[in-house]
Amino acid sequence: MMSTPASTPRLDEDLQLFAAPLEPWQVVVWNDPVNLMSYVARVFRTYFGYSRDHATALMLAVHHDGHAIVATGPRETMEVHAEAMHDYGLWATVRRAGT
Amino acid sequence: MSERLIRLEIARVEAAHLLRLVSDLLDLIDDDDATDPALSRLTPSPYPGDDAASAEYAAVTRTDLLGRRSTDARQVTRALAPAVAFESDDDGLEHYPLDIAGADIDAWLRTLTALRVVIATRLGIIDEDEHDDDDPRFGMYDWLGFRLDSLVALADAFDEYDEDVRSDED
Repeated sequence: MMSTPASTPRLDEDLQLFAAPLEPWQVVVWNDPVNLMSYVARVFRTYFGYSRDHATALMLAVHHDGHAIVATGPRETMEVHAEAMHDYGLWATVRRAGT
Repeated sequence: MSERLIRLEIARVEAAHLLRLVSDLLDLIDDDDATDPALSRLTPSPYPGDDAASAEYAAVTRTDLLGRRSTDARQVTRALAPAVAFESDDDGLEHYPLDIAGADIDAWLRTLTALRVVIATRLGIIDEDEHDDDDPRFGMYDWLGFRLDSLVALADAFDEYDEDVRSDED
């Protein structure tokens, strides 16, 4: 159990705790004429760890809508994911969520 | 437990074709011609329309990305080597049982995909239904697609077996 803190935080101090909110970013995978549907679904399943159903739904969204958001999170993480998608020969872009 | 393998039955002539294509891919990566559209397609920008962000991203990732492609392609090359060691044309249609370790399957899938991406760029394929029966490169492209699709099916079945074994152990 926690003992009484040795010092009381000064509540009038501006700690700027909310000054830089973590803005979510997205990885978007775009449709292309080259990649096979079975392959794209497999990449989503094995790389992101998505279920077969979810991976297939995302693949179908890419195929029919031309693109799909496959991941959301901090920019650096999204860049790592995009790079992995490029390793797999998919075309992925990174953008700020809500744009 | 011994390592399980994915068996790819491939005619020796097919293996020889594939080996030549992979060797061409390795040359393309080694040349690293930034103006080659096929290479650009293999190293796309995640920030199209933002030149500064694209350049920064490429500076950080491009060399590593091409290095990983090269590693994948060399792995496939090594695996194909015994399949293409045949003497006369008569042996060429003989099927060679090529065993791929589960851990190596991604290198194969990525490399076959990269070959299709390069050929599609050369052929200017922008539509899924685009086809020219008189151009042998389309035949090559389709053949790679067929090979890739069957390898994906084998790899998926391999994973499913693993999941079944794990769930039986639970």
